[in-house]
Amino acid sequence: MTALDWTIVALRVAVPALTLPVLVIPLTWLERRGAAFIQDRVGPNRVGPFGLLQAVADMIKMFTKEAVTPAHADRTLYYLAPCIAVFSALSTFAVVPIGPTLRIGAREIPLIGADINIGILYVFAMTSLSVYGLVLAGWGSNNKFSLMGGIRSSAQMISYELAMTTAAAGVILAASSFRLNDIIAMQQGTWLGFIPRWNVFIQPLGFLIFFVSAFAETNRLPFDLPEAEPELVAGYHTEYSAMRFGAFQMAEYVNVVVACAITATLYFGGWSLPGFHPEGLLGVLLSVLVFTVKTAIFICVFIWVRWTLPRFRYDQLMTLGWKALLPLALVNLFWVAALEMLRLRS
Amino acid sequence: MSAARIVFDLAMVMAILFSGLMVINRNPVKSVLALVVAFFGLAIGYVLLFSPFIAVIQVIVYAGAILVLFLFVLMLLNIGSQPHERSGRPIQTLLGGASVVVFAALLLGTLRGSGSRIPSLSPENPAALSDAGILARTLFSGYLLHFEAVSVLLLAALVGAFVLARRVRRA
Repeated sequence: MTALDWTIVALRVAVPALTLPVLVIPLTWLERRGAAFIQDRVGPNRVGPFGLLQAVADMIKMFTKEAVTPAHADRTLYYLAPCIAVFSALSTFAVVPIGPTLRIGAREIPLIGADINIGILYVFAMTSLSVYGLVLAGWGSNNKFSLMGGIRSSAQMISYELAMTTAAAGVILAASSFRLNDIIAMQQGTWLGFIPRWNVFIQPLGFLIFFVSAFAETNRLPFDLPEAEPELVAGYHTEYSAMRFGAFQMAEYVNVVVACAITATLYFGGWSLPGFHPEGLLGVLLSVLVFTVKTAIFICVFIWVRWTLPRFRYDQLMTLGWKALLPLALVNLFWVAALEMLRLRS
Repeated sequence: MSAARIVFDLAMVMAILFSGLMVINRNPVKSVLALVVAFFGLAIGYVLLFSPFIAVIQVIVYAGAILVLFLFVLMLLNIGSQPHERSGRPIQTLLGGASVVVFAALLLGTLRGSGSRIPSLSPENPAALSDAGILARTLFSGYLLHFEAVSVLLLAALVGAFVLARRVRRA
């Protein structure tokens, strides 16, 4: 491998890992302005044009505030928890394809961190580790509210992971591959000339379950029970201040971006559009733009839902997960399996 | 020694070290965490042995689900550090120590005897090991009976746990 090859590999790793934390800045602005819009307020509009620099100001504040460590906290776990939260959030994006293979001369650069043949399973493995960040924050803080938040998060995330993976199993079955690029490849083309061959049209139920579970997995309203500020102060991150608190916030936003990117990839064809064949550098850039727009739409839905729906009660949350979403996900799996049987017969 | 071999050895040392920590630690929450790290080390080992599917399943099932349930129970019962007590059973301690020595000797003997039969880091057929399809076909054809038997065993354990829990409540 030459120095150029190494540079490309380093860029493929660094670009997603560095873009995501930076993306958090416009996202917090979008969230606050979106909330203000929904609640008929103005929102932050003083710092910079349209208040765009408010998020930067917030970040400077986070970094310069005093970080208080509670006297009775378990120090190892207390310091470890935000690290785990950020690590699992950032590492998930490594297998998400953000565009097609870029060809410059004889060189092929796939626009993906690591194109492994178990891509989607890797995503689930990394998101399943994110629960440790919350649980350890809850336990290590030595605070009853934090502990309650930690306990809630562990039960909630396992419950919704089941529904989420079962819904995604439908997509995996239809694509007969775990590789995310294969899943995008099977969604190319159209039916009847105008309906894109996206999974959402064959498995609308699966998409719905996956997307609802994504809210629970990222701890966003209406499923932010581990945080639940009216009952638990701030839940698992009650005792965190300054940038340690910022780390949890960052992990949450990165998780939202990743969940939206995965939803777009699994059910909406990822970076592809029917009738659009990316050629050359411009085509590749356009398909990255397509992927970004699809992801951004879902992020807006996330924000819209957060400021529209009230929080669930914990028993309602558990009932929904186990008695509604999981059985429905199984129905979706049977539906896809039946379709595949028919396809193989003909 | 290649870079992969060094990473593999480091991961295995980490797995063994943290397995030991899991046993020694007096705080059950930290024991569970040490086990998570040990499982992660094993998963790295699987990846370097050209079995990424097994590695990911290991992380999803053990680190992501089972150990989280362990943590859930520990936190629900709020168990703190347990004092280090001397066990009042000298004979059992002696027998336990002896069996560890015997097991270690057997293991060393097997490893030395097998020699080159330990799968090396350059497998003859990497596709067969990494492909989930081939794994599934083997599992659901050649080993179908074993697979079903294990699932019945798990069901029996589930029913057993349920029966035990109910009996306590009635008393």
